Amino acid sequence: MASVETLPITLSALPSGWSKPAAAAPSAPSKLQVYPAGPSFISAARRQILQRSFAEDDEATAASRAAKANAVKNDGEENLYPGLGEEEESATVLASDPKEWKKQDHYAILGLGGLRYTASDDHIKVAHRRKVLRHHPDKKAGANSGTNDDAFFKCIQKAHETLTNTERRRQFDSVDWNIADDVPNPKTVPADQYCSTFAPIFAREARFSKVQPVPGFGDDNSSKKEVEGFYDFWYNFDSWRSFEWYDKEVNEGSDSRDDKRFTEKKNKSERARRKKEDNVRLRTLVDEVLASDPRIKRIKAEEKAARSAKKGGAATPSKMTPAEKKKAEDAKKAEEAKKAEEEKKAAEASKADREAAKKAKEAARKNLKKWKKSIATVITSSNYFLPEGTAAPPATIEKQLAELDMLVELLEPEQVKDLKEKVDAAGKGEPAKDAIVSAVKSVGDAGQGKFEQFA
Amino acid sequence: MSRPPVLGVNFGQSYASIAVIDKEGHPLCIANEEGERQIACAISYAGEEVYIGNGAKPHLVKNGKNTIMGFRNLLGHTYDEVDHTAILTAPLIPDSKTPAYTVDVLLPPTKAPTPAPRSAAPSGTATPNPGANEPVPSTKTLTVPEVTSLFLSTLLGSATDFLGVKPTQCVISAPTWFTPAQQEALKAAAEDAGMQVLQVLDEAAAVLVGYRVGLSEERKERGLLGQPEEGSAGEEEKRDKRVVVLDMGETSLSVSVVQVSEGEYTVLGRGRDDKLGGREFDDLLLKHFAKEFSKKTKVDLDLPCGENASAVDKRAEAKLRLAVEHTKRSLSASSGAATCAVESLKDGMDLSTAINRLRFDGLASGVYSKIGQKLVSVVESASLDLSQIDEVLLAGSSTLFPGLQSHLALLLPPTTPVTAAIDPSQVIAIGCALTALHLSELEDGLKVDDVLALAKEPVVCTSAPIGLVVPGSEELIKIISAGAPLPVRRRVAIPVEQGASQVGFELWEGKDEVKVEKVEKAPVEKDEDDEDDDYEEEDEEAKTAITVKTKALGGLQVDLKNGGNVILEIIVQRGGDIEARAWEEGRESEADKLA
Repeated sequence: MASVETLPITLSALPSGWSKPAAAAPSAPSKLQVYPAGPSFISAARRQILQRSFAEDDEATAASRAAKANAVKNDGEENLYPGLGEEEESATVLASDPKEWKKQDHYAILGLGGLRYTASDDHIKVAHRRKVLRHHPDKKAGANSGTNDDAFFKCIQKAHETLTNTERRRQFDSVDWNIADDVPNPKTVPADQYCSTFAPIFAREARFSKVQPVPGFGDDNSSKKEVEGFYDFWYNFDSWRSFEWYDKEVNEGSDSRDDKRFTEKKNKSERARRKKEDNVRLRTLVDEVLASDPRIKRIKAEEKAARSAKKGGAATPSKMTPAEKKKAEDAKKAEEAKKAEEEKKAAEASKADREAAKKAKEAARKNLKKWKKSIATVITSSNYFLPEGTAAPPATIEKQLAELDMLVELLEPEQVKDLKEKVDAAGKGEPAKDAIVSAVKSVGDAGQGKFEQFA
Repeated sequence: MSRPPVLGVNFGQSYASIAVIDKEGHPLCIANEEGERQIACAISYAGEEVYIGNGAKPHLVKNGKNTIMGFRNLLGHTYDEVDHTAILTAPLIPDSKTPAYTVDVLLPPTKAPTPAPRSAAPSGTATPNPGANEPVPSTKTLTVPEVTSLFLSTLLGSATDFLGVKPTQCVISAPTWFTPAQQEALKAAAEDAGMQVLQVLDEAAAVLVGYRVGLSEERKERGLLGQPEEGSAGEEEKRDKRVVVLDMGETSLSVSVVQVSEGEYTVLGRGRDDKLGGREFDDLLLKHFAKEFSKKTKVDLDLPCGENASAVDKRAEAKLRLAVEHTKRSLSASSGAATCAVESLKDGMDLSTAINRLRFDGLASGVYSKIGQKLVSVVESASLDLSQIDEVLLAGSSTLFPGLQSHLALLLPPTTPVTAAIDPSQVIAIGCALTALHLSELEDGLKVDDVLALAKEPVVCTSAPIGLVVPGSEELIKIISAGAPLPVRRRVAIPVEQGASQVGFELWEGKDEVKVEKVEKAPVEKDEDDEDDDYEEEDEEAKTAITVKTKALGGLQVDLKNGGNVILEIIVQRGGDIEARAWEEGRESEADKLA
């Protein structure tokens, strides 16, 4: 807005005979360097960039200022978390006795019964304020109730005091009896419902973790790493759960120091006992869940299969001639393919809907393997394109087979088929190699520099 | 409301300071971890250790070759362009395009020691060579931008520690005379240090922003007005005024004359003396104390010593320089005597002495008058006179001397305040922090780069003042000053005499002039017929800034009904066209417009 400065003069009445001087244009403006700083410069820049005149800019700034003031007003607590702490209290909640604060449900009193340990500090603040507005003793001064009028208010204050102190809140959360802690027997839970049953249970237990976030339970298809990570975490679980809440009150009036010490000692040992119990409980839970986890069984089976496959292939490798080695490899590959096929079949049987697509894919892959095998056979029978009679060095064999693998990967299935046919037609020796080399060339840039034997 | 964490950095040649915005939205100059607000721009490599900031300064005494100082002014220059005769600090190496320093460092041992044998039984191997774990002497080459980044990153670290979060946006100051290439180099170095630089701001502009010059209400509210001997400048600030920013740091003096028009700053002239700085005062004190030392102890010591002085003298100079720093600070801080004590200054003799303000002002009067001359010459080069200056703003630690402040105040008319309401050593950082805040809170979708681009080239400004003339009078009452960036709008209220039913006035273009009046003696220059003046006793000639009318622009006439003030609004558009309206307060719809 334009600021108005008052001039240090006073205008007197016009002298008679005065007429306005003729209007003239002022001198041409000059050009000077301006410092790009200060709010006034920014305002001038705003006017220039947005092509606003002074009057328009005044309007715009006034409007934005008003909008801001409005936004500040609306941003207040009134509109935060609508409905929180505004419900009607049930009779049981209203009947809470402030003297029995250890037994009262602090969350329910503030109307946070639904949120419990997930309630944020803001939730607690807002809910408390709303409750106080409704239940302050001053509001009930004229009402007909008796002397016990501010009992509920006291409960609210106690709940607020407890929940806003991190340590006290944790003590209460540790023993919150309104959170179910029942666990079904893992042995009786069917495998297909296992994850959906235990995921919420572990999510619930996770609230005691000092380390956050806690890894999730995962689902039926979780990888070995995920599952192991999950159980690792729970075997090293660091819990803040504590049991001060159950402490017996030290009798303050008692003068006996021994009495006090005795109670304290008892409380301490009791706390330790409970803590130990809780740790054992959690440990047992994890043990049991781990023992009957269907995912572990699945992973073990997979590993066993992989191991046995490896064993079959890797037996006495040093004593084998290259040809034998090749044979063994082929056999292993065939076995693997067979196994994979069988597994696939089993899976397909259970999931009929995915059948068609999978089958086509599988067929292509199977064929691919077949073709590759036949090409490899040609290579082998050509003595790895080395002169007759010389024994092929293992390095060469390895390289050639590796390059063949790479080539098959780079080519489309149809091209592989073509290649196989060509190689078959060429028979043995150089012509077959030429066919492979031409296929390598057809791959183009993707294979640049990767091939040595078939370059 | 949470504010973005912003940082203002005053990066001087010798000292730097940093400022942030506090919870109330006010700028605050903060101290680093060592508790220093003035952080020395020095880096010292001592063996495996690196000292940055004030901790590096004492290393100048015994480890001068590995101490880097005064690197800011080398930014953006090539080796050939810079003066490489730094005597005490690390030498610049000639074989690189960008200036670079080489320092000796000790690298930590490269190989991890072999693990000790597990059994306690004596093994056949020889005892491990203890030398293997010793650090390896080596040299390290740092270019000036690298040194700058390293230093700025420590400043950023201090600010991060203070704020708790890393400042997202920074404004960093650069001297008035920095070329665009140097500013770019500074920006690049700061960005390497992890700062997001919004703007590289002229130091003079930072001072103006720091004082909120031209924003009368805010300035008054924050108590940033100067205290002139006479006049109203201490209570109320004029909307349009001419201001001189006098920035005197450790090594150089820069003077900028700025036209302030309602918070927009137009440069009228500037000048720099890169030999005149706080170092001058150091040298004076050095000389004084050396003389005193020689007299007391009969040990010959002549400081400041030249390049080919003996090592002993050089050491003595470095030691005394550090001590004098404190003396200087206490001289400007308290009116009592400032002490200076150095143990074993030369030949095992100690120096312990004191100097009071009066003595120091006597020593420094030569420097004071040099500063005054520079001020006068810069103002004159802008074709202005000192009497046309409305305020002098001080910046830089060296302007803290009360003697200097009173010397300047004597030069200027008594109505012109010499303002040091914000600590001159902090004002630049504060201005930078404020600018960072302003730029980080841009509204209406404006972009920082677009806004700053508008001032890259000189902008159109009014070339002559425009004002109001009461019919029949010769006097022009200035409303718009010369040098106000266009478009410009001014609104004034004019009180009206009781009972007047119609008032009118003329709008004129004018010219700023200085009225010189001779008192007692014969006139030297032109003599004007106005006589009355109130400051004549000691002055031989009294100068006042006036505006004379040169060209009529039109007139306005207002009919009065309620006897309220007349409001006059003048807008000069970008092209130079003038629009003016006048109306009685509350009756804007019936305004008389300029034909």
